[in-house]
Amino acid sequence: MGVSIFIQQVLNGLTLGAVYTLIALAFSLVMGILGILNLAISEIFMIGAFVGFSLITAGVPVWIALIGAMIAAALVSIVIARIGYEPLRNANHITPMLSTLGFSMILQNLATNTWGSDPMQLTLEGWLETRFSFGLVSLSVVQIVVFVVTVGLCVLTALLIQRTDIGRALRAVAENREISRILGVRPRRMILVAFALSGLLAGAAGVLVGLHYSVITPYIGVEIGLKAIAVMIVGGATNIWGALLAGPLIGILEVLTVAYGGAAMRDFVVYGFMIVILLVRPQGLLGGSSKTSGGRV
Amino acid sequence: MLSSYQAGLVADGSILLLGALSVYVILSTGQLSLGNAGFMAIGAYLSSWLTVSVGMPLTLAIVISAAVSAVFGLIIGFPALRLKGLYLAMATIGFGEIVRTFFLNFEPTGGAGGFSGMEHVPLWYILGWTVFTLGCVMVTERTRWWLEIRAVNDDELAAGLVGMNTTVTKLMAFMTGAAIAAVAGALFAHQTLYIEPASFGFERSTEFVLAMILGGSSLAAGSIVGAALLILLPELLRDFVDWRIAIFGALLVAVLLVRRQGVLDRNLFGLARLWRRVN
Amino acid sequence: MLKSMMTAAVLGVATLTTMPAAALAEDLTGKVVKFGAIVPASGPFAEWGRANTVALKMLEKQVNDAGGINGAKMEITIYDDGAKPAQAVSMLRKLADDDKVLAVAGPATSSAAEVVFPVANELGIVSVSQNSSKPGVAAANRPWAFRNTVDEAKLATVVVPYFAKTFNVKTAAIIYDAKDATASSAGTKIFPKLLADNGIENLDADTPISFNTGDLDVSAQVTKLRSLQPDAVVLSADYSQAITVLREMKRQGMKTPVVGSTQLMSSAILAAYPELPIVAPTTFFAGLDVPAVKAFAEAATPLMRAEKNLPKTIEPSLFDANIYEIVSLFVQAVKETGVTADPANLAADREKIRDYMASESDFDGLGGKVRFAEDGDAIKSFFIVQAMDGKWTSLETACSSPEAGACDQ
Repeated sequence: MGVSIFIQQVLNGLTLGAVYTLIALAFSLVMGILGILNLAISEIFMIGAFVGFSLITAGVPVWIALIGAMIAAALVSIVIARIGYEPLRNANHITPMLSTLGFSMILQNLATNTWGSDPMQLTLEGWLETRFSFGLVSLSVVQIVVFVVTVGLCVLTALLIQRTDIGRALRAVAENREISRILGVRPRRMILVAFALSGLLAGAAGVLVGLHYSVITPYIGVEIGLKAIAVMIVGGATNIWGALLAGPLIGILEVLTVAYGGAAMRDFVVYGFMIVILLVRPQGLLGGSSKTSGGRV
Repeated sequence: MLSSYQAGLVADGSILLLGALSVYVILSTGQLSLGNAGFMAIGAYLSSWLTVSVGMPLTLAIVISAAVSAVFGLIIGFPALRLKGLYLAMATIGFGEIVRTFFLNFEPTGGAGGFSGMEHVPLWYILGWTVFTLGCVMVTERTRWWLEIRAVNDDELAAGLVGMNTTVTKLMAFMTGAAIAAVAGALFAHQTLYIEPASFGFERSTEFVLAMILGGSSLAAGSIVGAALLILLPELLRDFVDWRIAIFGALLVAVLLVRRQGVLDRNLFGLARLWRRVN
Repeated sequence: MLKSMMTAAVLGVATLTTMPAAALAEDLTGKVVKFGAIVPASGPFAEWGRANTVALKMLEKQVNDAGGINGAKMEITIYDDGAKPAQAVSMLRKLADDDKVLAVAGPATSSAAEVVFPVANELGIVSVSQNSSKPGVAAANRPWAFRNTVDEAKLATVVVPYFAKTFNVKTAAIIYDAKDATASSAGTKIFPKLLADNGIENLDADTPISFNTGDLDVSAQVTKLRSLQPDAVVLSADYSQAITVLREMKRQGMKTPVVGSTQLMSSAILAAYPELPIVAPTTFFAGLDVPAVKAFAEAATPLMRAEKNLPKTIEPSLFDANIYEIVSLFVQAVKETGVTADPANLAADREKIRDYMASESDFDGLGGKVRFAEDGDAIKSFFIVQAMDGKWTSLETACSSPEAGACDQ
């Protein structure tokens, strides 16, 4: 029984980690390319969850709901970029971060007034309800969907960044905005692309959370957002695969701490791990040179 | 004469001002701390324990708490030397969360149930500490030491090359900031008479930064404006009922867009002086 | 017509009992009687606060339509504290000093009550919480602090043995929200003691299973619960957090019955795991088969559903009933104790309301008689209810005071 419980816990951790991965990637796209911490990503994720929820409840097929929510989240993200970040792009790093905090407040209030503050619950039907049991270990179809979508989106993002012209332009902006402009890249357009991609990923994470945990509130982004920042740091903000490694790592670490250490220890372990990584390897597990870490405030 | 409601707002504003100053001092050396609520928690819990369980007079308890918090500032400040910009900020987020989780699980100070039994402090006492602290920071701003601090902020490498000890400057800033945040925490505890870990979360840390940046991050006096805005705006927006928070958020964004350097800045004062001279 | 009949039905509860004391009543014609309320109408509990607001406005209209309080017009000034303790304190000061109200209903959360009650004592104004059930909060702040709620310990003392007998429970495991003061106090002190008192083995006594408010993922905790194979699960959490746990139990196929505190009471919990028996104590739920409750629910439900920023499926909650009772009680206090509603007598009037609250008054609330004990918490009858197939069913009625006849009609 001990072994199957352990396997179950690892599966639990992987599912949680998959969600962390997507949100961390959303953070790191903006952080790695533009060097700002977009605190509103937690709320873009939440909006994605609600839009996905509403679409699924209205009878829209899950795949379409996923895409719809991703687009909605990306639009919100673009609005934040246009109003909250672009005019401040030459300011220090703190001012745009605080302006995204203002958007967090707006989005939470908007969601509360639209969907209520009480938990909204989803009842799954049909094939989504299916689950497989292997002795005491159980795995649901939704969990498989979560894994597949997460890995799929990571691969797509990596291909986009590494193999396409847009990706090259994004990397050029990340390296040096002024020089990239001279080379013919339009930095303002790239800012929007980075925010949009970030929104797509956060929105997808929202839908997956809605599907898997099937209960959401306007405040689900708050705690998970901070954890995702830790995941981004551990994986390395400048490497896409970093989040895919660090997400499951932190997810499993968290779950195993709860299972075998005690729930009270969990946040110590997660944030302690993040601080250790910052001190030992500030560029993260998979980050490149340490030169890119930080920058002036 | 202030009504009890107005007096309460002034007390809240003073404590927020101290919190903003704690961030300001650290930021002056180019280090952003998003974990000052952690230092505030240390000050709040330690001073409350000292006055309630040990029976120590409040002022002494505040001084001791500030000193202990400064030691924690040093402990955080050392590793912080290795980190820059937002990475340092994220490490301090981790510190803040760890302190909060510690008090959540630390039964001697009540854990999640919180801690109470403190005696209420009068408004003048809170104002006294605030004016004293603000005064110290503003006087320091006119000293040579402050020039060193600004130099570390503007170009750390150059400051080091001309023989300044940037390490000591940065550590001192962290210790001072931690001590000020602890004073804010101690006053908060003896103003609300009940403290719980949830009072010292990430939201509190960002509130400090927000007050400081909104008011103006280039001078200490800016934090007065920032703290006043953050305390008064939500009260003035009460008529908007269900949309109050959203409108508050929108106004924050608007202020940051219009005055990214904060409501007050050094140039503004320079202009005023110029204006006087012209007339 | 129907509406006014319902109004009369609800008000009848309060007005009938005022007759014997009519001798003391002042004629307040032309005056205004002002009360205050502090509700969390923004932030994570916005729904509670907004529904509270609807219930209070309904009461205000009912009282004034029925001729006011001894001829005076009643006014309730409602402020939002965003569930933030600091704002709740500001609002109490504002109500007491600037608005000069006679008494205040609220604040809602225990955290807010912890900081508001000492100030209520300092200013000399009654403050009555509609939600707070963290043990001892009113008791620490006598004589001005009250709560129209019952201490979780008193409720659980009755619920646990009843639950154990009904579901033949020999072993149980506790899961609680470690960040929520009320839930954590119940999960670490009240329930472990009661399990022991009732001869139930507590399977996670050595390594308590907990989570934190706001956690999305409790899969590890539930897997751990499942591995202990208990006869029952004790779930100590606020309903919005409890739903996350119940959903996870459903996903992992756990079928053990669940028992909890009043914090579980909400219509939202009914949808979380409809196949599972969930047992909790409460002093009110919208479907309760009592005339006063029915009249209140029938009058309040459409008003709440008509509200723009509230969900279309909302039902009046325990907290709405509590705050409605609190202000009804204030109204009765003014009627019976000769409150003058004259600004010059403000302090004396406030004292009269406090003394009325503390006395052995004869107030009929929605679910039965309501009085306040020495510790400031309500003595009222409560119901052990079970969530089954999407609705609450009352299984048993009990009284929150061990004294014989304390809750008798």
